[in-house]
Amino acid sequence: MNPSEQTGRPMAKGRLILATLGALGLATLIVLGVILPAEFNRDPLGVGRLSGLSRLWAPDDKTVDADAGGVARSREYDIPFRTDVVEIPLGDFMAGADRSELEYKVRMRKDATLTYAWEVIGTREPRDFHFDQHGHTTPAPGQPMTVSTYRQGFGLQQRGALTAPFDGIQGWQFSNSSEKPVVVRLRLAGFYELIPSGEPGNEAGIVANVPAPQSRPEAARP
Amino acid sequence: MTMGTGVTWPRFAGFAAGLLLLAWAGAATAHNIGGTDAAFVAATRGPDPIPFMYLGAKHMVTGYDHLLFLVGVIFFLFRLRQVALYVSLFSLGHSITLLAGVFFDIHADPHLVDAVIGLSVVYKAFENLGGFRTLFGVQPDPRAAVLGFGLIHGFGLATKLQALNLNPQGLLVNLVSFNVGVEIGQILALGLILAAMTVWRRTPSFALMAAGANVLLMLAGFVLAGQQVAGYIFGGAVS
Repeated sequence: MNPSEQTGRPMAKGRLILATLGALGLATLIVLGVILPAEFNRDPLGVGRLSGLSRLWAPDDKTVDADAGGVARSREYDIPFRTDVVEIPLGDFMAGADRSELEYKVRMRKDATLTYAWEVIGTREPRDFHFDQHGHTTPAPGQPMTVSTYRQGFGLQQRGALTAPFDGIQGWQFSNSSEKPVVVRLRLAGFYELIPSGEPGNEAGIVANVPAPQSRPEAARP
Repeated sequence: MTMGTGVTWPRFAGFAAGLLLLAWAGAATAHNIGGTDAAFVAATRGPDPIPFMYLGAKHMVTGYDHLLFLVGVIFFLFRLRQVALYVSLFSLGHSITLLAGVFFDIHADPHLVDAVIGLSVVYKAFENLGGFRTLFGVQPDPRAAVLGFGLIHGFGLATKLQALNLNPQGLLVNLVSFNVGVEIGQILALGLILAAMTVWRRTPSFALMAAGANVLLMLAGFVLAGQQVAGYIFGGAVS
């Protein structure tokens, strides 16, 4: 069999070069403009942000057992000790998710410990209030995220201690489904840092150590 | 490309849409062996031929990079004997590296192997356009190319199996079963591709659209290669 038998009518030279370079160019555009934002969280052309493709990307979750990794019962830290009282106002469930639920976390180093106590003021019905206590790393783009879930449930209070299983942010997602606005009064003590307003873990912009009416300036804005 | 008439455009668009759908469906079903299949493989102790055969066939039928390469290979093969020869060469190539790669535990980076597999689609489409003769004045033996790229595709298959925790018990039986499954899947897919190509070739538009279709194949191959290179650089899973 003659090898040339199998090709069809050959393309003219100029057209062939144009077609090959065109395919290469278009493929480059597709990879840079579409695949990188959607699959790798890179956006060299800015198309991902403009088109919303970037929102398709989510880090791979690596779940870590909260009980894993034993640490010494007695520990000392070179991190400053701090205490905070955080009052978190939450709207009633009719106010929409923007108002009635939020996430509040603090940043902790691996094996650092804090103690906490929080209570809900404004309702007496435990089924009206849900919390999800968890922590995760804040990975660089393209890196997997390590997550650990401590407790999810309904209730009006929780008291305890937490030792961070990894460098990252630790805290709660609070959701109010009662008909009344409530305030979560969270007291913290230990080795952690507050997260500045608007950053991951405190997107709602909660201000610590001020009374509830002033602690959520973002929500006060129209 | 000569696709100026009103008859050919819609058909060309249909073909292009079909090709894109194929790639998209492939991406959606994921190219890696994953999820419950991976759990099954990890849990297997001892020979278990039928499930491994199924996994091999599934991997081939949903492996759009292998399928696009096959489309390129048989594009201008009009005689069944030629089809049989080329597909046998491809099977021989990928069987050698699939079996040897897994059995002797030869490791290659899956992203780089898959990138070369993408480029094999580009190569075949470029060859179909007569590109080597037109631009470089030489025509590499297409049979050798199919065999050579078969070896690369086999390495790709091997890396997918190696990514799973294969148990040494019954490895040879399971591996051969997977390979047999790959060939079964290839025959099934080839049957469909051949049937569609035969129908298409009988239409007068085939000659007009053949060049355009191969340019599209080239585009698909470049995209496949590009996303694997991105996976190599940035890490993480690529479907």
